[in-house]
Amino acid sequence: MKQFNRRDFVKLAAATGTVMVTGLSTSQNALAGDVRLQEGGRDFSPITKKERVAIPTTCWQCVTRDSMIGYVEDGRVVKLEGHPDSIRTLGKLCAKGQAGINHVYFPDRILYPMQRVGKRGEGKWKRISWDDALDLMASKMKPLLDNGTPELFMYQYGRHKGSQSSIMHDFMDAFGSQTIGTHTSVCEGPKWVGQESLWGGMYDNWDYDHTDFVVNFGSNQFETHTNHIPTSQRLIRAMVDRNVPLYTFDVRLSNTAAKSTEWVPINVGMDGLVMLSMVNVIMNEGLFRRDHLQYMRVSPDYHATDDEKIDAIKQHVAKFTPEFASEKSGVPADKIRMIARGYAKANAACLIGYRGTVMHYHGADQERAAMLLSAITNNLDRKGGRVMGVGASWKHPSSPKAKLQKGLDITNGFPGEAAFPTHQCSQQNLPMIKDGRNGRPQVYWSSCNNQAFINGNNNEAEAILADEKLIPFYVNTNIVYDESSQYADLILPDVTYLERWDYEDMVSPTGVGEYSIRQPLIKPLGEARDQGEVFYGLAQRLGIELAYKTKEEYVRKSCEMTPGVKEAGGFEYMKKHGVWHDKKAKPNYGFYEAKVDVSGDGVILDKKTGVYWDYKKAGVSKTEAESKGYLGVEGAKKAYVAQNINGTPRLAYPPNTSFTKSGLLDFYSDNFAAKGFPAFPTYTPIPEHQKMDKDDLHLTTYKVAVHTHSRTAHCKWLSEIKHDNPAWINSKTAAARGIKDGDSIKVKSDIGEITTTAHVTEGIIPGIIAISHHFGRKHSGIYGSGKKSPTTVTASSDPDAKNMWWDKHGTHPNSIIPNSSDPISGGQRWMDTVVKVSKA
Amino acid sequence: MSESKTLDISRRAFLSGAGAAAVGAATLVTPGVSQAATSDVPRWGMVMDLRRCIGCRACTVACKSENDVSLGRFRAVITEKTTGTFPNTKKTFLPLMCNHCEGNKKDGVPPCVKACPEYPGKRAKFTTPDGQKITYRTGATYKRPDGLILIDKEKCIGCGKCIDACPYGVRSFDPFVKAGGDPTKQAADKCDMCAHRVDNGLEPSCVNTCQGRARIFGDLNNPNSEISKLVKKHNLAQDANVLLPDKGTDPHVYYIDPDNLLHAIYTERKKKKLDHFVDQIT
Repeated sequence: MKQFNRRDFVKLAAATGTVMVTGLSTSQNALAGDVRLQEGGRDFSPITKKERVAIPTTCWQCVTRDSMIGYVEDGRVVKLEGHPDSIRTLGKLCAKGQAGINHVYFPDRILYPMQRVGKRGEGKWKRISWDDALDLMASKMKPLLDNGTPELFMYQYGRHKGSQSSIMHDFMDAFGSQTIGTHTSVCEGPKWVGQESLWGGMYDNWDYDHTDFVVNFGSNQFETHTNHIPTSQRLIRAMVDRNVPLYTFDVRLSNTAAKSTEWVPINVGMDGLVMLSMVNVIMNEGLFRRDHLQYMRVSPDYHATDDEKIDAIKQHVAKFTPEFASEKSGVPADKIRMIARGYAKANAACLIGYRGTVMHYHGADQERAAMLLSAITNNLDRKGGRVMGVGASWKHPSSPKAKLQKGLDITNGFPGEAAFPTHQCSQQNLPMIKDGRNGRPQVYWSSCNNQAFINGNNNEAEAILADEKLIPFYVNTNIVYDESSQYADLILPDVTYLERWDYEDMVSPTGVGEYSIRQPLIKPLGEARDQGEVFYGLAQRLGIELAYKTKEEYVRKSCEMTPGVKEAGGFEYMKKHGVWHDKKAKPNYGFYEAKVDVSGDGVILDKKTGVYWDYKKAGVSKTEAESKGYLGVEGAKKAYVAQNINGTPRLAYPPNTSFTKSGLLDFYSDNFAAKGFPAFPTYTPIPEHQKMDKDDLHLTTYKVAVHTHSRTAHCKWLSEIKHDNPAWINSKTAAARGIKDGDSIKVKSDIGEITTTAHVTEGIIPGIIAISHHFGRKHSGIYGSGKKSPTTVTASSDPDAKNMWWDKHGTHPNSIIPNSSDPISGGQRWMDTVVKVSKA
Repeated sequence: MSESKTLDISRRAFLSGAGAAAVGAATLVTPGVSQAATSDVPRWGMVMDLRRCIGCRACTVACKSENDVSLGRFRAVITEKTTGTFPNTKKTFLPLMCNHCEGNKKDGVPPCVKACPEYPGKRAKFTTPDGQKITYRTGATYKRPDGLILIDKEKCIGCGKCIDACPYGVRSFDPFVKAGGDPTKQAADKCDMCAHRVDNGLEPSCVNTCQGRARIFGDLNNPNSEISKLVKKHNLAQDANVLLPDKGTDPHVYYIDPDNLLHAIYTERKKKKLDHFVDQIT
C-alpha cells in the first residue's frame, strides 16, 4: 500500500486541473434540536442543500437483491440506501451495493455496440449502430432456425434471477434453443444438490430473529452471502441483543470468525466429518429430539420405527467419534462435544454453512450431514432454525414457444463427471466445447458471465474463447471490457441495474415473501440497452413473436398479473413503493406437517414408500401403477400428493426437483446408492489430500466484504479499499519455508504457477494458503486492472481517476486451480487444490 | 460531561422540530430514534458499539457516496487489527471518524479550530430548536453551538494547519474544492456528521447504513435520547471510552468496548502522516 503523508495530499491538492468548484457555502439552517431523526428515505445535497429525488428500486450487485432507494441529483445517481419499508433489508445496504453507482460512471464503461476489426483478441474495435449489431447477430442466428439447429445458439449467463431470468428463458423458448449455460456450479451448486436430495427443494434460510444458538461451517456470513443484508444484520443483532452464541468453524479468521463467540480452526475438507461427530455426540448422549424422525428415512426400510431409526443413525455415525474427528480435523474432541451439546440443547438452533463446506469432493454429501444435524434436533423449518426460504411468486407474460426445442449436452460436464448436476457443471462448458464430442455452438452469447475469469484453469478458458475454430461467433453483453469480452466478435453495451426494469423475488428471512421491482433511476447512458429489448430487436429480425416489446412493458404486465401485487395497485403501486408483501401473511413454519386430502380420483397409496400419488396425473393405468409402484413409474414424482406419516397423509417433503424420492427426508438415499455414492451422509477422504507430500499445502479461496467475485473491480470505492490479494499463510508454515511477511512467493499446482505476496498471519491454520479470488484482472478498466480499456469509445472521463493511487491489482488464483468437479453434484472443487509454496 | 455547558436557554417544549422532520417523509418513513420533546440546544454525538461492528465497510462507502469524497482520502474508515497467536487469534474492527471534540476544559476550543488562522472570525447566529439565537464565532474551521465541528470552505485559505493539528488525523485537502480564501490552494475537508442531513432531521449517512446498528447518533443534551441512555448505561463519558483522552480534546464519539480493545489497537497518527486514515482490507 502506498504510504500517505501530508506531502502527498499537498501534491494532490495542487493538481487543480480537476477542480470543479471554488469554495462552498456552509451556511446552515440549523433545524437540529429535539426532533425525531429519520433513519432514511430522504437525502439532501451537501453542496446545494436541496432535497435529492428518491426512487425506490432494487439492488443487483449480488444475488441478495436488496430493496433500496436511489437518489438522483441533476439527472445523476448520487446515492443508494436500503429501502426503509423492506421487511428483508430493514433499510440497510452493504458496501458493495452502495458502490453500484460506480458501475454507471466508471471511465471505461462500454456505451456503444463494438465490432471486432482486428484479429480475435487483438483488441481492435469499431463502434457500430444497434441496427448493424442486431442485423449481424440475426444473420448468424437465422440460418440456425432455417436449418433446424436452434441448439447451436448458446446463451451463457450468470446472476440472472427474477424477470431477467424469465425473459431470457422466454426468448430461448421462442427461439427453440435449450443450450443455456449457468454459473451455479462454481458458486454453491453442491449445497443445493445435497438439499434437493433430501427436502426436495432448496434454499435454506436461517431464522436468526428467533434462534438461540448458531453453528457455522465455512460461511462468511458477515462479509458475503447470497442473502447477506437480510440475514447478516439479524445475526449480529441476535448475538448482541439476545446473547445468541455463534461458533464458526473455518480454516481462516474471516470477519465472521472474528466476530463469532469463538473461531474454531478446522482442517481443510473436514466440516462434514465434524458435523457427523456432532451427530455421534447428540445421538449417544440422548440429546436428539424424536419429533422429526417420522419424516426421516435413514435406512432402506421406509417403515422403520422411531427406535429402529435411532439405532440406525447411531450405527451410521458410530465410527465418527469426537476423537476420530479431532484427529483429522484438528478440532479438540472436547470442543466438538461442547458445541454439539450447546447446539442440541438450545430451544432453537441454526446449523449454517456455505462454500467452505461444500466446494469439495463429495461437497453435496457434506450438506446432507448439515441437514442431518438440523433434523435430529428438530430444527428443520422450525422457528429459529434452518428454514425453507420463502420468496415472491411472480407471474409473467409468455411468448409462443418454438415447435422445435433442442439443446446441446455440453452444460453438465463430461460423460460420467457428475451424477446429479442439477445446477449444471458450468466450469466445463468451455472445455466441453473444445472437446467437441457433444457438439459446438455456432453462436455463443454470454451475459454477466466472465468465463475466462470465474472458472478454474481460466487460462484454458481464455484460449478456447480466442479460438475461432471452436467458437465461430462470440457475442458478449457487458458494461466493462473484461477477460472474456476481449475475445468477442461483438460487444453489446448492457445497461447497469440502475438503468433498467426488473421484478425480483429473492427469499425473505421473515418467512413472508417480499415482491420488489427495479426501475431506472436515470436514462441509460450512451446507447446501453436492456437485454430484454435486445431480445425483441432480434425477434423482429428472426420472425419470432414475443409477448412484449420493452422490458418496462414486461415488468408492467407481470405486476398486473401477479396475485397480491395486482390488487395492491399493480405497476403504479410498485413504481411508487418499490416493495410489497402480504401484511396478513405469517411464516409457514413446519410446512411439511400440512394435512393433505387424498380422496381425489386417481390417488392411491404406494405401500412400499408410503407415498400417496395420482396415477392418472402420472399418465398410467391403475394396474400399471399398482404393479410398478410409485418408484417404478417414470415421472411419478410429478404426481406426488402426500406421504403417509403414521397414518396421516401429510405434505411432508415433496420431490420438487429432479430427484425421484418419497416424501421422507432421504438421509438414506437410493439415488446416491444407485450411482455408487454413500447412501447415508459419511466422511469421504478427498483423493488429492491422501497423497500430499510433506511440504505440500492446501490452497483455498475466499471472498471479502467489499467485492463480488468478478464484477466489482472497476468500482472505485471498492477497489480503493481492496485491490490486492496477498496470500494468507500461517507464521509457522511461512517460517518453515523462510518466508517473511511481504515476501514474494511462488505458488505451484499441477496446472501452473503464480507469483504473489505473502501475508504472514496468525489468522489461518498451518498447512494451507488462502487467496481471495477477486483480483489479478487482465482487463477491468483503469480502476480494476490499471489499464484503460481498448474499446474506442468509452464513457466520459471521471475526474476522480486522477486521484487513483493504487497500482497493485493482485494475482488470480484460479489459473492454478484445475476444473475438477464433485462427482455427486458437478460443483467446482475450489478448496481441494494442493500446491507447493516457496520464496520467489 | 462537558456538554453540560451553561447556555442561557429556557427548557421549553419544542414541537416545531418534530413537525419539520415529518415533512416530505411520504411513504418512506421508518421511525428513527424516538426522542422526547424537551431539550435546549442539542449536543450531537456518536456512540460506536464495538460489539456490533462487523467490519463490513458499508459506512465507509456510504460516506464516500453521500459526500462525493475523492479517491485517496476518507472521511470515515474502519481500521482492523489481528492480534494473538494461533489458534488464539482475534481480529478487531474499529470505526474512526471526526470526534467532533468539545475542546479543552479551559477554553472549549478543539485543536483544529484553534489552529485555524481564520478563527475567530465574524459572529454568526445559531437558531436553537426553541427559537433562541445563539451567537458564536465562525472561522474556516469552527464549532457550531450544537457541537458539530464544521469547515467553511469559502473562508478556508488551504494552509493545512488544521490537518496537522488534529491528533486523530481525520482531515485532508479536497482536490475538487478550492479554498475560497486562497483559490491557489485546496480547501480542507473532513466528516461534518452529515450536517446537511442532520439539519433536515435525518441520521448521518454512515448511521443509516450500519447493518449491525453499531453507530448511534443523537443529542447528548437530551437525557431521553438513545445515545444519552447508552452513555449512561455503559458509563461512556470516561477516558477509557474515547480516543486519545490525554490530548484534552474531549471527543464526542464514544465507544462501547467491553473487551477493552480500543486502547489496545488504536495508535496515534504519526506527525504529518495520514496513512492510518486510509481504509484498507488486508
